Amino acid sequence: MTEPIITLKNVSKEFKVLNRHEGVKGGFKDLFSRDYKIIKAVNDISMEIMPGEICGYLGPNGAGKSTTIKMMTGVLEPTAGEIYVNGKIPYKNRTENAQNIGVVFGQRSQLWWSLPLIESFKLLRDIYQIEEKQYKDMMELYESLVDIKSLYSKPVRQMSLGQRTLSDILAAFLHNPGVVFLDEPTIGLDVSMKSKIRDLIKALNHEKNTTVILTTHDMGDVDALCKRIVIIDKGVMLYDNSIENLKHFFGAYRTMRLRFTKNAAELTEEALQKQAEELTVDLKQKYPQASSISVTVDDDWIDVLLNEEEIPLMKVMNHIQETKRIYDVQLQEISTESVIKKIYDKEIV
Amino acid sequence: MKHKLKKRGIGFYASIYFKIIAQDFKSKMSYRADFIISTLGMIMTNISGFIGFYIMFQKFETINGWNYYEMLFLYGFSLIALTPMQCLFDNNWNLRFVVEDGSFIKYCFRPINIFFYYISEVFDVKGLGQLLMGGITLTYAWNKLSLPFSFKTGALLLLALFTGSLFMIAIMNMAAATCFWIIHSGYVMVTMFKFTEYAKYPVTIYQGFFRVLFTFIIPIAFVAYYPSYIFLRPEVPLLTCIAPLFGIFFFWLSYRFWMLGAMRYSGTGN
Repeated sequence: MTEPIITLKNVSKEFKVLNRHEGVKGGFKDLFSRDYKIIKAVNDISMEIMPGEICGYLGPNGAGKSTTIKMMTGVLEPTAGEIYVNGKIPYKNRTENAQNIGVVFGQRSQLWWSLPLIESFKLLRDIYQIEEKQYKDMMELYESLVDIKSLYSKPVRQMSLGQRTLSDILAAFLHNPGVVFLDEPTIGLDVSMKSKIRDLIKALNHEKNTTVILTTHDMGDVDALCKRIVIIDKGVMLYDNSIENLKHFFGAYRTMRLRFTKNAAELTEEALQKQAEELTVDLKQKYPQASSISVTVDDDWIDVLLNEEEIPLMKVMNHIQETKRIYDVQLQEISTESVIKKIYDKEIV
Repeated sequence: MKHKLKKRGIGFYASIYFKIIAQDFKSKMSYRADFIISTLGMIMTNISGFIGFYIMFQKFETINGWNYYEMLFLYGFSLIALTPMQCLFDNNWNLRFVVEDGSFIKYCFRPINIFFYYISEVFDVKGLGQLLMGGITLTYAWNKLSLPFSFKTGALLLLALFTGSLFMIAIMNMAAATCFWIIHSGYVMVTMFKFTEYAKYPVTIYQGFFRVLFTFIIPIAFVAYYPSYIFLRPEVPLLTCIAPLFGIFFFWLSYRFWMLGAMRYSGTGN
């Protein structure tokens, strides 16, 4: 039985925040105030992550994701509980822990802004004391995976966001760490770059058996990369299991994707929203007992999500067809996006 | 398969540092126009400062017993002592911005000293124009004052300049680190930098409170005045003798203060 590479046992993190008073007078009061309130950013979280796993760490903004990551990277000390990464306590020795992890945090590049990429890589080789052979092998692997050679002489400041993200991810894996933390690696990228980045993460994880902790709001990342997801909100863990398992909860849920106009792609966002609103009102009137029905706009489709145990899909479709002309239709299972949204909204668990 | 890591000591940091500086210098040189214009700008700023200085001496023969060439000595000395701070510690000026927008966190993820990693990131070539100005001024004053030049005075001069630089750097480290505690720390930085203007005057022109302030609290008297004393006057005050040690202590203090702020920053989770 292999040991987990990351262990969290009943980890909590509290922050002391000053209770601020209003106005100028309040400002003076704050200067001397000892009136603090305690905020629990992370509340009693436990999990074990096995070597080689890609784990999606999800939650709405301010849920406590980055606090947890900061604790795992040794930047923050937990208020209570125990953390082990690579068998060590991260915050006890920040530099030792840093040697065994890779981090891509936020959109700011962690490479030297004005240096050509290859020089940044060489500096990292020196800083992490990577052996020459290991460095060469890694660079060969990189060159076989992505077209990186053409970027070697380019300073990071002249790179596009996509190229920068790519370079940052490669830099994070360079010293072959046991764990790599990726925070929103595909944010702001176009579709083709997104898939390139996902393929790269997958390949590196596969080649080096590197554990990857991924925080993201992009369910495309989750679908492409993660077998397992952990969801937290307001510091509390809501879910820790596979996506498949999660989708079982919603086995009877179906998504019906509709288009009411011939050239839906040319419609404005507002026009689509209006169609969706009309449909919502109509369906609410017709099936007041079916609370699961929800209508949303996704790209140029109108999505109707419903629970077939409540109301058969065909019945709804027939009803819609009586009043509107449907030009195009697709039927799907519930999307990961909708599942996660339902968890955030506390509709299950 | 994990090999044993070497301890990251002074040799390790020095080698990394020179690699970064060399690479950065190379890339700066590739923006030649930018380099030339900013260096020229720095020289112009210094020349205008020098003109003000010259005009003042048209009015006064001496300032508090210091004649024109002695004052010129202090002037040149302070310009050189300022250079390491401007060339090597320039990133302190950006500190409050990276702390404010949260990107300071990225400096906490590498297995090296945070202060070193942050400061080594930027090398500012503009300061080199100032070094040139200072060098010329100091040499000129040195000749006019008919100071002897020997191995001993050369070594003493280097030590004195090193001491002055330490104080200069330490003051700006402390000023920059205030951003870990207060929001509008830009004022602190700018005010401190303005104070360093006074470094080129003898501290004896200040009385009472300001004298104590500029000697022990914001020790700009140690940037040029006390270290230069040994070349310009026969009797050497105690403060000149202990200046190098005091300088190292003060630099260490500023480093601890900076690191304390950095630890606090990550502790609050911004």
